[in-house]
Amino acid sequence: MTTPAQRKKALKDAGYNTFLLKSEDVYIDLLTDSGTSAMSDRQWAGMMMGDEAYAGSRNFYHLEQVVQDTYGYKYLIPTHQGRGAENILSKILIKKGDIIPGNMYFTTTRLHQELAGGRFEDIIIDEAHDAENEFPFKGNVDLNKLDHLIKKHGAAKIPYVSIATSVNMAGGQPISMANLKALRAFTKLHGIRIIHDMTRVAENAYFIQQKEVGFKDKSIAEIVLEINSYTDGATMSAKKDALVNIGGFLAVNEWDVYEEARNMVVVYEGLHTYGGLAGRDMEAMAIGIGESVQDDHIRARVGQVLYLGEKMMEYGVPIVQPIGGHGIFVDAKKFLPQIPQDQYPAQTLAAEIYQDSGVRTMERGVVSAGRKANGQNYFPKLELVRFTIPRRVYTQAHMDVIAESAGRVYERRAKIKGMEMVYEPKYLRFFQAKFKRL
Amino acid sequence: MHTIIEPFKIKSVEPIYFNTREDRVQILKTACYNPFLIRSKDVIIDLLTDSGTSAMSSSQWAGIMQGDESYAGSPSFFHFESVVRDITGMPLVIPTHQGRAAEKILMSITGGTGKYFLSNTLFDTTRANIESSGAEGIDLICEEGKYPSIPAPFKGNMDTGLLESSLQKIGAENIAMVIITVTNNSGGGQPVSMANIKAVKAICKAHQIPMFIDACRFAENAYFIKTREEGYADHSIEAIAKEMFSYADGCTMSAKKDAFANIGGFLAMHDEDLALKCRNMLVITEGFPTYGGLAGRDLEAIAIGLREVMDLNYLQYRIRSIEYLCDKLVAAGVPVMQPAGGHAVYLDAKAFLSHIPVDQYPGQALVGALYEHGGIRSCEIGSLMFGKYDQDHKLIPAPLELVRLAIPRRVYTQSHIDYVSEVILEVFANRKNISGLRITEESPMLRHFTAKLEPIQSSNS
Repeated sequence: MTTPAQRKKALKDAGYNTFLLKSEDVYIDLLTDSGTSAMSDRQWAGMMMGDEAYAGSRNFYHLEQVVQDTYGYKYLIPTHQGRGAENILSKILIKKGDIIPGNMYFTTTRLHQELAGGRFEDIIIDEAHDAENEFPFKGNVDLNKLDHLIKKHGAAKIPYVSIATSVNMAGGQPISMANLKALRAFTKLHGIRIIHDMTRVAENAYFIQQKEVGFKDKSIAEIVLEINSYTDGATMSAKKDALVNIGGFLAVNEWDVYEEARNMVVVYEGLHTYGGLAGRDMEAMAIGIGESVQDDHIRARVGQVLYLGEKMMEYGVPIVQPIGGHGIFVDAKKFLPQIPQDQYPAQTLAAEIYQDSGVRTMERGVVSAGRKANGQNYFPKLELVRFTIPRRVYTQAHMDVIAESAGRVYERRAKIKGMEMVYEPKYLRFFQAKFKRL
Repeated sequence: MHTIIEPFKIKSVEPIYFNTREDRVQILKTACYNPFLIRSKDVIIDLLTDSGTSAMSSSQWAGIMQGDESYAGSPSFFHFESVVRDITGMPLVIPTHQGRAAEKILMSITGGTGKYFLSNTLFDTTRANIESSGAEGIDLICEEGKYPSIPAPFKGNMDTGLLESSLQKIGAENIAMVIITVTNNSGGGQPVSMANIKAVKAICKAHQIPMFIDACRFAENAYFIKTREEGYADHSIEAIAKEMFSYADGCTMSAKKDAFANIGGFLAMHDEDLALKCRNMLVITEGFPTYGGLAGRDLEAIAIGLREVMDLNYLQYRIRSIEYLCDKLVAAGVPVMQPAGGHAVYLDAKAFLSHIPVDQYPGQALVGALYEHGGIRSCEIGSLMFGKYDQDHKLIPAPLELVRLAIPRRVYTQSHIDYVSEVILEVFANRKNISGLRITEESPMLRHFTAKLEPIQSSNS
């Protein structure tokens, strides 16, 4: 626990960037749901069963089996985390000048695409960029946008369409099965792959089960398998859905891509039967994947997020709707209308929330969006503060504290001023940038 | 009492699965004569590597339970950082998921086409990372390091005369850095003396070239300095380690060796500007700077392991157990690298299988024979790992054809080692029956990990 004076100092020392706060100075940590889950007793038992052999660990074969059975992909390459898989996949599939359409960018994903010589193009439906639109599947793809890109650049320039389930930057918004099916049919016509960023696939499956016609009697496990069946491969950060503190993988159905990935993973990550992970971490992942597709788990998980969101709305706090699966995304533009986007309203709001209660959140706006190749800032339509809920870590009482804090800051919103960036790193600037108050 | 016992008791055990010779013949064939493709449950004694295969201590497991998994600013990171700073004296500490990631980041920043990295001997992943940046790696091992059977105290030393002349030839401005690997893994786990580190540093300083240490086995190297180099007998391991690091501008470390961790590594350095560039790259491929792609618990385990490895009783037991195996083999006339190195016994495959020419990979053939006969998994360090092709696709062999029997830390007991020695002696007695291999499939980089091979005789018949 910290005092307001301690938090004021901690915030100043951290350059008003919540990433640079020490976790000891944080009361409730909602920076990310990535790698912060509590593992189950069964996962901890698995940790003790790690086979740390460099090659051919039993834990690898267990994980491979689970990925094939639960996710339906044929070939598995483990990596130390999701961005390790993105790095390898981008290097294999993308050629200089390629276009990669996707349902909204994600920071590390887009960066790997760009470093491999490609360019990301957003093909998410327009509703996704409107924080207040209540369409249930704001992660959907606008096929017309994709069609337009194909006509403009030709299908040969598009190595794959990058599809995220539970679109993070849109506020954890799901894609519908119907949209995915239509996309599959369309890409098939043009011979274009679909690569699935599946880090929150189970949370997406829950929304399909609850909101899409024809799925209410299907299990999460069945829906997950069906989603994956419409895609050709996946990158996974197991630090989200799969309830582990470290780990990820690349999974593909094409033998040639697998062969190349297997040769490449040795250079960046580790031999293909451990991919830079301890054996015990592969075991924990294998068990976590099984737990992540259980209906009871997902219902409680998403239920907790909904509880927090509804509570915040009671205080009048403007949030992205409908509420997504892994966190509450507060609309900073609406919360702080007096602060222009080049004075970082979301970054400012994250700092204010921490100052109020020691709750650590994350900016998902202009700072995260970074710069274009020509040096200009991306100004995203959405300027959000993400309150990400770690899985199985906090209780309802914690949710109450968080909502109250957001409410308190909202009450004094008119007095809050923006910030200026005083240090800007070259890549992924949101991680390490520093600010000062205006 | 002169018997050196393991300075630990065993708290938790992991079963070994036994199989028959017939099983193993089939398994090896299925694995295309590459031990990296054998499943670990099919291995009786696993000496493939000492990397990531250590048994952690009860304190480390306690650290595992205490890991703070915050994405940013975890106390586990600050614990890790303070220990690395203390031992290396380097203020800027960057965690990575393992050693090769630290190298990847460092080499891609400092390397590039036209640049050179000079070293006593670069290890496989280090060399691969240098070459993939477009730069070139050059090994400048001392003369005595080139002869496996001739004992000398510091066969890992760099040839400082060659270093000087290479500097003249290449030009200091084209040299990205000098890397001293301690202990010298590819050269048989042989130590580097403090005098040599000092001399290399003096040359680097005169030409303003940064000197880095590949520190994977720094404690084992410190032990050899203590026991073999004049003037260090009364120094503590910690003091020797600190002195070694004091001469370096930075280091890379795979914590999977001398930090008893199953995963993890780091980069440490003095240069602020370089550290900034490294961190900018770190977030792309590894993770945020306070976790670097590791769970918080693994940072704890590394911090604790780095302290434990400098315990003199441990090092005495560790080095003695390698010597013990080496002595047994020498006594029976088996050609091995002498003296014993710090983490492994290296069989001289060229002498062991003198009837197999180098382009039939005698090292890999011996690896296969040890597995078939006794279920022992070992690793070739020779022309499969380091060989290249000339323009006519003819093999340019590696200077040495070695088979490494790497001993995992705190995992096996004396009776396991006795078994290993028995298997080797039996294979040695029947060595004439072993045939060479040819490669049927390989990848352009680090081919030894995934290459497929077949015996030459069987395909002729």
